[in-house]
Amino acid sequence: MTISELQEQATQLKNRIQQETEPDPQALQTKYLGKKGLFNDLVKSIAAISPEERPAAGQLLNELKTELETVIAKISEAGKRPADWVDLTIPGLQPKVGGVHPISQAIEEITHIFEKIGFTRVSYPEVDWDWYVFEALNMPPNHPARDEWETFFVDGPAHPEKGKMVLTTHTSNGQVREMERLGQPPIRMINIGRTYRRQQDATHTQVFHQFEGLVVDQGINIQHLKGTIDYFAKEFYGPEAKSRIRPFHFKFTEPSFEVDFSCHICHGTGRLEGQVDEAGQPQKCRFCKSGWHEVGGAGMVHPNVLEAGGIDPEVYTGFAFGWGVERTYSLKEGLNIDDIRQLYGTDIRFLEQF
Amino acid sequence: MNILIPHPWLLEHLDTDADPTTLQTNLSLSGPSVERVYEREGDSVYDIEVTTNRVDSMSVRGIAREAAVILEQFGIRAQLKQPNYEEVFLVPDVPEEEMLPLPAIHNDLELCERIMAVVLKDVERTSTPEWMAKRLRQIDINVHDSVIDITNYITHEVGHPVHAFDYDKLMALGGEIIIKAAAKGKKFVTLDGLEFETVGGEVVFENREGTIIDLPSIKGTANTAVDEQTRNVLLLIDSIEASKIRFASMTHQIRTVAAQLKEKQVDPHLALPTFKLGIKLYRELCSAKVASPLYDDFPGERQPAKVILPLQKVEEYLGLQLETEKIVHILDILGCEVKVEGEQLSIQPPTFRPDLKIAADIIEEIARIYGYHNLPSQIMATAIPLNKPANSNYALEMKIKRFLATIGWQEMYTYSLISEAMALATGQPLANHLKLENPLTEDQLYLRRSLQPSLVQVLNDNSTQGNLSVFEMANVYIPVENDLPRHELRLGLVSNKPYRAVKGDLEALLRNLFIEELIVKPLESESTQKAELFAAEAGKEIPIGTISVLPKARTAINLDMAALLEAASTYPQLQPLPKAAPVIEDMTFTLPEKTFSGQVINTIKQLADAIYQVELKDIYQQNYTFTITYLGPNASISAEDIKPIRQKIADTLMTEYRASLVGAV
Repeated sequence: MTISELQEQATQLKNRIQQETEPDPQALQTKYLGKKGLFNDLVKSIAAISPEERPAAGQLLNELKTELETVIAKISEAGKRPADWVDLTIPGLQPKVGGVHPISQAIEEITHIFEKIGFTRVSYPEVDWDWYVFEALNMPPNHPARDEWETFFVDGPAHPEKGKMVLTTHTSNGQVREMERLGQPPIRMINIGRTYRRQQDATHTQVFHQFEGLVVDQGINIQHLKGTIDYFAKEFYGPEAKSRIRPFHFKFTEPSFEVDFSCHICHGTGRLEGQVDEAGQPQKCRFCKSGWHEVGGAGMVHPNVLEAGGIDPEVYTGFAFGWGVERTYSLKEGLNIDDIRQLYGTDIRFLEQF
Repeated sequence: MNILIPHPWLLEHLDTDADPTTLQTNLSLSGPSVERVYEREGDSVYDIEVTTNRVDSMSVRGIAREAAVILEQFGIRAQLKQPNYEEVFLVPDVPEEEMLPLPAIHNDLELCERIMAVVLKDVERTSTPEWMAKRLRQIDINVHDSVIDITNYITHEVGHPVHAFDYDKLMALGGEIIIKAAAKGKKFVTLDGLEFETVGGEVVFENREGTIIDLPSIKGTANTAVDEQTRNVLLLIDSIEASKIRFASMTHQIRTVAAQLKEKQVDPHLALPTFKLGIKLYRELCSAKVASPLYDDFPGERQPAKVILPLQKVEEYLGLQLETEKIVHILDILGCEVKVEGEQLSIQPPTFRPDLKIAADIIEEIARIYGYHNLPSQIMATAIPLNKPANSNYALEMKIKRFLATIGWQEMYTYSLISEAMALATGQPLANHLKLENPLTEDQLYLRRSLQPSLVQVLNDNSTQGNLSVFEMANVYIPVENDLPRHELRLGLVSNKPYRAVKGDLEALLRNLFIEELIVKPLESESTQKAELFAAEAGKEIPIGTISVLPKARTAINLDMAALLEAASTYPQLQPLPKAAPVIEDMTFTLPEKTFSGQVINTIKQLADAIYQVELKDIYQQNYTFTITYLGPNASISAEDIKPIRQKIADTLMTEYRASLVGAV
């Protein structure tokens, strides 16, 4: 047989199936594509085709087969009786899905926001020497400033130079460690980790998480701190969010600031629109402090801290901020976490909601 | 520290029309934070947080001074008033024959830089007048009688603690005050009846016999305390060194207002105005008569050191240039003396600002009074560091968490500190755990070395939940001699799902990390069923952790994240697709009890190159059905080729496992 003869036969077969009146697709399948079907008869004849033409013949047969299958499928569809009625509203069978913990979600969001503007994410020890946690941060031993943080001490001997072993009360222990790691600016650090304070109530757990930012280079000033904080507020809470800094005091920053984010309920005004109290005055917003929520501290890195990290404060300046992950997260609009201890609790019904 | 300031009291020192809301807002933006404003007995009372470096603001006058400076910057008329006790005459009110001798005061300048004292005669213990009682109530201080209340009142108004002694008791004990560091082991009783014993080094007042007659700037002692019989009072102010006050106060945990102020370096120059107001009030309210000369030993009168501020530095911190005149004006109204010396300022801070020591301290004053809210805000355009820490892969950690969550696992965050019982539950001795010296609660005492007990606790706490699978990725803390503990990141999983389901999830996780194969090597043990886990990667076996069966049909997996990250990949090494069609057959074997089917499968796989895959299809009692996929290298493998392989499988399994084939080969 020649290829053109094969072509002819194929075309004939195509026409034949188009003119079929047989309604049963199964019967058509057998007749055309079964072991002893018409297609296979044609396939057997490929043996008679010359070797050079065989590839083309093979191709031709493949196309034919596909076409035959398509026709049979169409007939099958058309001939179908309406399927059994499907209840479109029936509750679906959901796969059993678990969940990523809200603290992980918060950490990931925070990381992403800062990585977008060139920060490097790091982790530093939770169990650290007194030197990194306090002394290098301009807080000598027995200084009243240390009273701010109720520190856990580890049972054991002190290091001759670095002091006692403590559970770090803040991620600020990462500041000098990062300066040591890099040696010289530029520094853009975001250090996130577990922190520990000897305190427990509805807004405090003994173990919690903080994130610490540190930027050091030539020419870094307060405007950059404001800009970075403002950028974070808008990324994390939405474009309407505002931020502000107010005077405060930390030994390791000078100037030092307290950072506030605007209350999303009263939009930073401290008053609820359209509501009045008994005295006829606009109703005070009960969720915030006069329109703002304190989120944590910040400041320009104290020259003594830069020196402790081997960086010349006459050449370089920097800013730093350190806030609680849980606290920052709990300020998200509509979230309604009223007891932070639930985040470390074992009640699955709470965690399942995230 | 917080301080309560009633608005009318503030107005005695501050001339302004600003209302409380305005004061609260503006003060908080540029100075001490006014956290709340209470309405008490018809007045607004400010609750102000003062930072530890600004003890000068811990008084009505101190806050008034701040308010005067700040309100002016906001364009609101405000001025600090002359205090109404400026013109108090400190001369005796009685003729010389009726005067009373001062006690002999032996000061140690190393310990105390100023002592002021005066004797008040015929002090009547009148009840506190209502105007003073109201203010004391408004600031949460207990009202007693005039003699005691005046000391609290003037401390609050001017800012320097003061003490009233019963003069006659003092004179009966010898009439001498010796200021010294106490020896160890001396007993004393405070005026509220509590007994203490010195540890050595606390600054005390003693008489000639060595009896302690006062714990100065902290608390009075019973033996010289004012009581109902008191007729004459010795009013005294001391300026003992701040760190000494802190030492004594913290050691004995006597945390009075006086101690909390004095440990922060209260300005000794405040002693005189405090005295003046005190004498004025004792005269007016108690008919007291000044019956001695004013004793004032103040040789030091030290000035804080000058601070040099290059103007360039102000611009560096603020990111903008301020006119020199504006900078000088701000520092001037804060009480500094400023000299312009070319491109720098030479600044003499006032005596009440010991916190102004370096240029950055001065810049903070300039910036906050100028107003942080007035500074523009922009992200830095400086270079981005590219040096990442080695061995960190936060993205892969998150990928693992998301994958586990999607296949049904709930992530937990449990406490790093655990109880003794939990620490023992890991099988590690307590001595191998770091322990807290000062725990808050007994259930958070040891730094954990395993996540497993905490995760098992989660299942115990949620017994009504049915199928529960939880995981946590967190550090464990391995003690290292003479060094910080090693922080090792672990991934712990605990579930009450059937073992095969849990292992299946682990296998799926590893596949998701493009780890070729999970190898399980059971450990020899009678008490627990436990196996070591290895990731097969490029011919190597990397140990990644353990899997074990726990009571209550639970499975626990402990993985070392460092090892897992080493074995993991973010993309596959593609295998070419088979060219020929596979042949798939089942073979069923009866396995003796306690046979590891995983090992049987591995054995089968290695028997011929043509064996592409072996899966466990079905188990019925001891009959295991394996589905074996055969694949020829290029063309379909034939039945003749498979037959000898099947025979080999049957023979090998019989020899190695005493497993018999069900049916014919």
